[in-house]
Amino acid sequence: MSESARKKQRVSPRASGDATDHSSTLYNDLHRLASIAPKPVTPFRRAASAGVTPRSATIRTPGTARTPRGGPATRPLPARRAAPTTPHAIRALRERANAARTPGHVRRRSGRVQRETPRDFLRNLSRVLARDTQPIEPTPATHPRNRRSALDLPDIDDDDDEPAAPRLSMPLDDMYDDDSFNEEPPRPSLLAPLPDYDYDNGTVQSVEFGRRARSEDPRLDRVFGRRISEQFGDLHDLTINGDEYELDGNFINRRGTLLPNDLLEQEEEEGDDTEAEIRALTGRRGRASDGDLGVFGDAEGEDEEPTFRFTIPQRLHVPAEDEEDGEEEDEYGEVDEETQRGMNETIIEDGEDEQPPVDLAYDDDTAPALASDNETGPLEIAGWESEPDAADDEDLQAYRGEVSAIDRSLQTPAPETPAKKRAGRQRRALNISRFGHEYPSFPAATVKTLANGFIKSQGSKSKISKDTLEALVQTSDFFFEQVGEDLAAYAQHAGRKMIEESDVIALLKRTRQVTDSSTYFSLAQKLLPRELLQQLRMEPLPKLRRQKRKRMEVVPEEDEDE
Amino acid sequence: MPQTLYPRGTVKKIVKAHANRPLSKNADILIFLKYALFMQEVLKEAGIASKRAGERGVSARSVRKVREGCLRKFKG
Repeated sequence: MSESARKKQRVSPRASGDATDHSSTLYNDLHRLASIAPKPVTPFRRAASAGVTPRSATIRTPGTARTPRGGPATRPLPARRAAPTTPHAIRALRERANAARTPGHVRRRSGRVQRETPRDFLRNLSRVLARDTQPIEPTPATHPRNRRSALDLPDIDDDDDEPAAPRLSMPLDDMYDDDSFNEEPPRPSLLAPLPDYDYDNGTVQSVEFGRRARSEDPRLDRVFGRRISEQFGDLHDLTINGDEYELDGNFINRRGTLLPNDLLEQEEEEGDDTEAEIRALTGRRGRASDGDLGVFGDAEGEDEEPTFRFTIPQRLHVPAEDEEDGEEEDEYGEVDEETQRGMNETIIEDGEDEQPPVDLAYDDDTAPALASDNETGPLEIAGWESEPDAADDEDLQAYRGEVSAIDRSLQTPAPETPAKKRAGRQRRALNISRFGHEYPSFPAATVKTLANGFIKSQGSKSKISKDTLEALVQTSDFFFEQVGEDLAAYAQHAGRKMIEESDVIALLKRTRQVTDSSTYFSLAQKLLPRELLQQLRMEPLPKLRRQKRKRMEVVPEEDEDE
Repeated sequence: MPQTLYPRGTVKKIVKAHANRPLSKNADILIFLKYALFMQEVLKEAGIASKRAGERGVSARSVRKVREGCLRKFKG
């Protein structure tokens, strides 16, 4: 109260008697309300998420660089620790510091879209209403507000012409009393009514606020009403019926309502099968009984149906078996069924030895008792379709009359094994170069030892993972391809058929790995083991002598070193 | 003879296949030298890239990201 008294002293022309009389005028109430309403501090909205929220992006004013909303501290700046070096960074930092230093009223003026809090609205309202009766002493902070009040004026006038005025003259003590405060709040036509107890958020609904995820909303823990448009999908799939609000008393619970008529129509249109789906999609199965018991009464019985039905198609039974039989007969031609059995077992038996199934046709009577444990023994050359059949043929024997669904479930893992084998084979198998030559992939073990050595020399303790190794092997394959082509080009340019050391040295020189200051020999000394070094040392000397005298002199020095 | 650092025959075969030419006797050692330099470069760059991406160790992703540049760098 002392605060309000002080404020009233500022408004000089007012009689002193009014200061004691608090609740008499609109102006007083509004002013007091404004002083009570929470000040627009940033953590109010930022509490849940420290990072840059979508909201902060929407609110940002055109002059963002000068007035960052939360100040520099709230921004996640990864490289902030380091002192800025570039002129641009220095300028940017200075600007930001300036922005942080600007007093609030200056900052406010910077953008057209300003922070609008209940407090601001109340102050504006108080100013607008008080204009007729009392002169306002303009404080420095009021300049921007006056300007903005002109912007907001039509809205406020529209809203508060008839019904809202009485509520503004409420005594202060009753403000937190829910029921008496606003019996009939002014409601904009578009928005749904708020629950009653959002005492200091009352005008918020007329303003477009940024949207944010429900989990992040700091207002959730207080039981404030929320704007509908803040919740994303709700308006689209739901039709709102206003009664539900009064039932729940809370916007958060509002979600459960579908317009019953719509749902009924849907049901009629799409029939019973889709109904469960609809409910599963809209997530409304449980809720259906909440609001509209009567409407869903007839549908209630079918609620017991599972949401997801596994349909086992009846007509597939017979054709599936036929299919399998037919395939086998196609494959093995005239063989009758008993030989078939024996054959399949031998196939399975021999599957370990990677025999192609074509060879297996010879044997009818070997080991019918064997191979029951080798069900998954993969066959490589046979096609996808027939392989699982062979694997499942025992099942066929055992469960002749049974549902093919079993077969199907057994079949699912089967195709993987041949694929895996094929992959393993392909790794070993030769790639084919541009010239049609086959060549092996570079051995992974070598890559691994080499890479681990390098990583260790870099000082990191971790070893190379399998994926990384794979990538490295691939990389080295690429590398060798490139090197081979380059060397071929060099050799051809020299008019030789054979790739020689000088070509490789030329390649090294061209990529500046061998320069005047570093010979290939010093590189080799760094990277290669001794025995390789020795072989290298023995051979290329005469050539070097012919080509480069300088390098000739280097090599013997290193010879002496060793 | 102890195991060498790398299978010489394999390297020879690979390069030969790509170049469609025979290699002289010790050229493969120098090729392997170049390969070692290349691997060093790749791992260095990949270490930088993965550190920048905040990964631990050297990941396959960073190797893939880096290798094209390295290959280009090593192209004669």
